[in-house]
Amino acid sequence: MEKDYVETIGLEKRFGDARAVENFTLRVKKGEIFGLLGPNAAGKTTLIKILCSLLKPSAGEAYVLGKRVPNADIALLVGYMPQELALYTNISVHENVAFYGAIFGLTKNRIDEREQKLLRLINLEDQRDTIVHNLSGGTQRRVSLACALLHDPPLLFLDEPTVGVDPQLRESFWNYFEGLKGGGATVFITTHYMDEARRCDRVGFMHAGKLIAEGSPHGLLDLTQTDSLEDAFLVLSQEARR
Amino acid sequence: MNIRRAAAVARRIFMDLKNDKRTVALIVLVPIGFMVAFGFVFQGDVKDVRVLVVNNDNGGGFGNKSISDRVIANIDKTTLKLENATNKSEAIAAVQNGKAYAVIVFPDNLTESVSGTAQSPPPVANTTANETATPTANVTNQAVARQGQVNIQVLTDNSNIDVSRAVTTAVNAAVLKTANETGQTPRLSVDTSNAIYGQNARFIDFFCPGLACLAIWNITTLLTLEAFVGERTSGTLPRLLASPLRESELVAGYSIAYGTLGIIQSALLLAVGVLLFNITIEGNIALAFTTIALLAIVSQALGILLSSVARSEREAGQFAPFLILVAVLLSGIIWPLEAIPEWLRPASYLIPTTYAVEAMRSVMMRGWGLSMIWIDIAALLVFASAFLVLAVIMLKRRA
Repeated sequence: MEKDYVETIGLEKRFGDARAVENFTLRVKKGEIFGLLGPNAAGKTTLIKILCSLLKPSAGEAYVLGKRVPNADIALLVGYMPQELALYTNISVHENVAFYGAIFGLTKNRIDEREQKLLRLINLEDQRDTIVHNLSGGTQRRVSLACALLHDPPLLFLDEPTVGVDPQLRESFWNYFEGLKGGGATVFITTHYMDEARRCDRVGFMHAGKLIAEGSPHGLLDLTQTDSLEDAFLVLSQEARR
Repeated sequence: MNIRRAAAVARRIFMDLKNDKRTVALIVLVPIGFMVAFGFVFQGDVKDVRVLVVNNDNGGGFGNKSISDRVIANIDKTTLKLENATNKSEAIAAVQNGKAYAVIVFPDNLTESVSGTAQSPPPVANTTANETATPTANVTNQAVARQGQVNIQVLTDNSNIDVSRAVTTAVNAAVLKTANETGQTPRLSVDTSNAIYGQNARFIDFFCPGLACLAIWNITTLLTLEAFVGERTSGTLPRLLASPLRESELVAGYSIAYGTLGIIQSALLLAVGVLLFNITIEGNIALAFTTIALLAIVSQALGILLSSVARSEREAGQFAPFLILVAVLLSGIIWPLEAIPEWLRPASYLIPTTYAVEAMRSVMMRGWGLSMIWIDIAALLVFASAFLVLAVIMLKRRA
């Protein structure tokens, strides 16, 4: 049986009286691309923040790479791309990459090697020395992704990585995610784009803090007797409201 | 603690500054601007005070010069701008109309009395507040004339204490000098010509150490506060906190960067002080820099702490007046702690700048070494440790 890279059991997160995550139980296996779908304020980002040890659960348990979180020991093995840009905009693309590389303990040679590979992937080889604030929003997202992939982590948490990225580049992002998966990495991704969800091995629908359904994209279409994941989501969220 | 990671944070801050001309300008120009502005404008010495002289002295004796002429000649003309008035009431009216700050009245028998009675005491400047001009200050500086004593009357407008004090001091100094010249030295006198520390010190010498501390405290706290709020809102802080970078390494990186910037800023400030205003630096300059670097580290840790209660960079800026006010009012930058009401003084000892100002002033004006200012340095170390530990705890806290 494949090992679980992410596991939550009855996870709950409250902010005052509001419940951002509620009774959330989920397993993500090694080598999977798992897509978490849901409207704004569904609790997707809160869940990712708990898994990245940035927030403490109010109740329940969460395990990442077999370790209960929050846990500082797994940081080296996890790549995290927040929803915000999370780049230093006054310095160049290369300086950002070199900084995050140093934080992850990479040698200078290793940083150069990874930088070359990643800039090729995000099609930014000629912008290496451009100051980040001079780049367009979509291009900045590409740099942000490169920084999350820099240390070649076996597990990636990507919080809406393709927002503001043009369709062509989104395609190349997804090709790369699939390549990572082929290399044995696990990708946990949140997204608004239903076409992207189709490319996930499994998707979870999140609504008002709860996981209302999960399964393979085909399985969810069959379950709801719909043609698109968008419709499937609408059917399931209406059922959840009842 | 991984030094390489902390150094990477510090290096990143400097790289950031390289392309952030606005902040660099703030870091470089504010200390220079502080020093130049305060040095030129706020020297503390009163000048060109308009004073009216009513000279009724009939003269006689003491060679060609009357006592009044000698006193007038001895008055410091940079401080007082003397003008003659024909009579006392006209001169008082001028003060009442705001055209002058004081009136000096020499009595008609002044020279006669002083020269005629060898045993009589020397003239005394009898300073009286002009009760009609400032009814509330009518007892200030009132000297009690002794029997047989000749009085030079000085009527002042005490609505401005600094000005009236300058008038009194100038007249008293001139009278004393005249007394010495004419052999009328009083039996009992006070000699303040030899200072233990700060011989010939000017207000700017006293003010400069405090100014350096104020500049570093204010700029460093605000810069770190803004930078850290930026880290929060841009998402770099969550990304760093999810990385192997420890909270202590992040805080250490900030300390290295802002401690260094603090030293550069104070070097600029002191350089301007020395070159433009020839300020006194009696002691070890390295000790002064150590003090200021410690204050910078305390300030940046405070900036990180305050960042937890500011949601945007705009909110961060709202701390500026509070920071300046607390330091200026309570830490002895402009007036001594002794001038702060006793009940409020404990508050002064809760503010890091109080210790930094005292240490800087002791090093720069008194030439004191570490053995004398260790309490201030220890206090700054306590503040630095406490704030740094609190900053790390705050960052470690997971809501």
